[in-house]
Amino acid sequence: MTVHTVQLRINGEVTTVDVKAHWSLAYVIREKVGLTGTKTGCEMGTCGSCTVLLDEKPIFSCLRMAVDAEGHEIQTIEGVEVENGGELHPLQKSFIELHGMQCGFCTPGMILAAKALLENNPDPSEQEVREAIGGHLCRCGTYVRIVRSILDAAQAVRAS
Amino acid sequence: MASNTSVVGKSLPMIDAYEKVTGKLRYAADLPPLHRMHHAKVLRSPFAHAKVVHIDTSAAEALPGVSAVITHLDNIIGTKKTCGQIWNDQSFNFQGPIISPEVCYVGDEVAAVSAVDEETAKEALALIEVEYEELPAIFDLEESMKPDAPAVHPWGPNRLDPSLFTWGDVEQGFSESDLIIENRITLGNQQHAPLDRNACIAAWERDSVSVWTSTQALFWIRDALTEFFELSPSKVRVYSTPTGGSFGLWWGNNFMILTVALARKAGRPVRLVLTRDEVQTTVKRRERPLIDAKIGIKKDGTMVAQRYQHVMDNGAYGNKFDPYQSVADIYPTPHGHVEFIGVATNLLPAGCMRGVGDLTLAYAIEQTVDMAAEKIGMDPLEFHLKNHWQTGDICHTSQEVVFAKLLFNREPEVRLSSSGLAECIRKGAEMIGWKEKWQGWGKPSSVQGNKVRGVGMGISTHISGLAFFGFNGITIKVNPDGTMALTTGIGRMGQAGDTTQAMVAAEVLGVELEDVNVIDGDTEVCGHTMVTFGSNGMHMVARATKAAAEDAKKQILEFAGRHLEASPEDLEIKDRRIFVKGSPDKGVGLGELMSTPIYDYLAPPEVIGRASEGVEFHRAGKMMIADFAEVEIDTRTAQMKVIKFVACHDSGTIVNPAVCENQVAGGYYQSMGLATTEHLVFDDETGAILNPNFLDYKIVGPLDMPDPDVYFEEVYDEDGPYGAKGIGEGVTCAVPIAISNAVYNAIGVRLDPPITPDKLMRALKNA
Repeated sequence: MTVHTVQLRINGEVTTVDVKAHWSLAYVIREKVGLTGTKTGCEMGTCGSCTVLLDEKPIFSCLRMAVDAEGHEIQTIEGVEVENGGELHPLQKSFIELHGMQCGFCTPGMILAAKALLENNPDPSEQEVREAIGGHLCRCGTYVRIVRSILDAAQAVRAS
Repeated sequence: MASNTSVVGKSLPMIDAYEKVTGKLRYAADLPPLHRMHHAKVLRSPFAHAKVVHIDTSAAEALPGVSAVITHLDNIIGTKKTCGQIWNDQSFNFQGPIISPEVCYVGDEVAAVSAVDEETAKEALALIEVEYEELPAIFDLEESMKPDAPAVHPWGPNRLDPSLFTWGDVEQGFSESDLIIENRITLGNQQHAPLDRNACIAAWERDSVSVWTSTQALFWIRDALTEFFELSPSKVRVYSTPTGGSFGLWWGNNFMILTVALARKAGRPVRLVLTRDEVQTTVKRRERPLIDAKIGIKKDGTMVAQRYQHVMDNGAYGNKFDPYQSVADIYPTPHGHVEFIGVATNLLPAGCMRGVGDLTLAYAIEQTVDMAAEKIGMDPLEFHLKNHWQTGDICHTSQEVVFAKLLFNREPEVRLSSSGLAECIRKGAEMIGWKEKWQGWGKPSSVQGNKVRGVGMGISTHISGLAFFGFNGITIKVNPDGTMALTTGIGRMGQAGDTTQAMVAAEVLGVELEDVNVIDGDTEVCGHTMVTFGSNGMHMVARATKAAAEDAKKQILEFAGRHLEASPEDLEIKDRRIFVKGSPDKGVGLGELMSTPIYDYLAPPEVIGRASEGVEFHRAGKMMIADFAEVEIDTRTAQMKVIKFVACHDSGTIVNPAVCENQVAGGYYQSMGLATTEHLVFDDETGAILNPNFLDYKIVGPLDMPDPDVYFEEVYDEDGPYGAKGIGEGVTCAVPIAISNAVYNAIGVRLDPPITPDKLMRALKNA
């Protein structure tokens, strides 16, 4: 099978990877680049745990081909702290303080989806928050506190 | 409620929250690759029951990059534990050899391959030629129980011997009753469906093996590998990583043993990561019950006798034969007869899932009780308050009773250590507005156009660990700066067990939560905790944690006594400082004490607190639950909407309120799935699961249900650390009951979960 050499810009760092055409971005991020904060729960776009930001928009990285991700700015959960100058993002702080997680598996995807929401809409309603994470499952059923964490972080972002 | 505590009772953040929000927490599939590591794939049976009459792996073995292929011809079979009997462990999904020539469900293992990468391993699977001879398969519980039914598997009967509990004289009880109510129910097939796809990595070094996997059953796996491969426990080291949800799924499983066997044959580390399809169809599901319930009551609502037969579909390899804790005792009656029967089918193996029978049997009991209350025209609230379980009541059907009989041939008495059930029922009724909304049986609380609303309630209970789970070992080592390391075998499934154990230790030792570093998940380092199940963390494991902390405290106070020239009995420890009671100025900081040489030793102190604690089972700490629901049904479209849900829990002292609220809310969402959308669909013809993914097996999302209102009745349990009982499993148990009863009151028809629009549509049509 043909191997393509692509340059992926992830969290501001360029990595050159040899990928096969059918490899998903999620697979390459995890298995070839070693950024395992991106989780792959279903590999078919139904759980949201592999969400990354592609040019600041949330995408399910299991549905995006790695060969098709060249030339874009990709951010994974590992990049959020880096981008914030080594400090936790207000969302991360809120999730910690308000227990916006249980097992933590859906957390990176939830935080990235929420980050994209707050960048476009710093004052979302509860319904808008729920819609922004509407494609994300949390089998621990932590929705109450995930939503509360996002709303709390929105307030912190607005205040800053 | 615990009083005068400084750490216990606070919603402190989980100690691994930072790792979780930054993506740094490593589940098994996130671990970095080991040198020379190969990747595994499993060939699975397309038939529900068949013999492998011929298998040819030569082409697969010849494929470049393939390091090992195993099949039934390798005859990998454990014998040590069982003295030549068939190897059997109910949590591992196989009996006898790990790969058998007879496959017993669609998905059963036929071969496993390790290769340089997953793609090569997959390619190798396609090169394996298998010839099957199909055997008769049984998918139906009742069919399987018939005397002339074909055998589901090559060992043992389809129907296991019942576990039987009787008290009083049940027939006499029925004859003394004014009314008898009978009922038969079943529920859907629920799948644990955690988001994480588990992995196992195994590496041999001569005759020793190390295993990394996401599990809540660290020592169970260690012991199983020890027995199966005939190794000393000193040669097996299991590292458990956190699980991305478990809900009872990640105990031991065959895929772990397969990985270990492959790594041995390949002579290199091997990693197996399950696909979503494999997680859904080859590990485990909740046992599907078929329950016959019969209760006898007096006209005044007093319950006199109860009889339950709880048959459970164990699937192909499940081995459940014992009762589910004590929910059959939730209504104390002078007469009772309860039996639990495990039955095999050629379907995905079944086993425990969060709440187990205290969900399924409670559902049957509560539907029947609801019907009984209706017959005598008594408000269900009143009925529940008249008959419920109270502190000191007896637990006839406890698993402890079964194990006392099995191990010692004795029949002990087990009594309930505390119950806040009445308060939970009263509080829940108030919160849902029962008085205003309950209009009588099968009568909606309100009607607006096509929309009818109804309210319903249900109660249940669950254990807080069981004695036969064994001893829990904890150590606490105090560092020179006064921080400390706590070792525990408690699993990390999202229940924050590490956090709450550390909170108990911090409370005893007068330090902050951040001072306690928890080391878990290593069988060579941590003390024994068999499995984190049966909600044993807060009531049972924490007893050992508290004792270990008290042991460390005793040592600290002795050293501090020498340092301060005071008697240890006169000392107190608080805010990271040891001081003379009544003279807070005369004291020493814990860090200073631990780093300052003591004259007698010419060295600073060394403190290691330790405890290994079992629990005596005569007093059982059980959580109590009362749930209330209000639903709205559109009689035109048959769509159901949950309007309000109230969950009231007595889990004793609430050690970390935010953690416990998350547990209750999570149990509600999960059980809401069971009540409304979740059902594994087995193909009638083949026994294959038709919905092995989140697209077709719907779990509840963030837009689907209203948030529950949660209330804790904090009854102090004398046996629990700081008065705490368990919580994690009971949270699911009463949810479907409240929903079903609410649906009944809205439309006047009783439906069993999952209550889907098609069932509602038919019910509305016939109503």
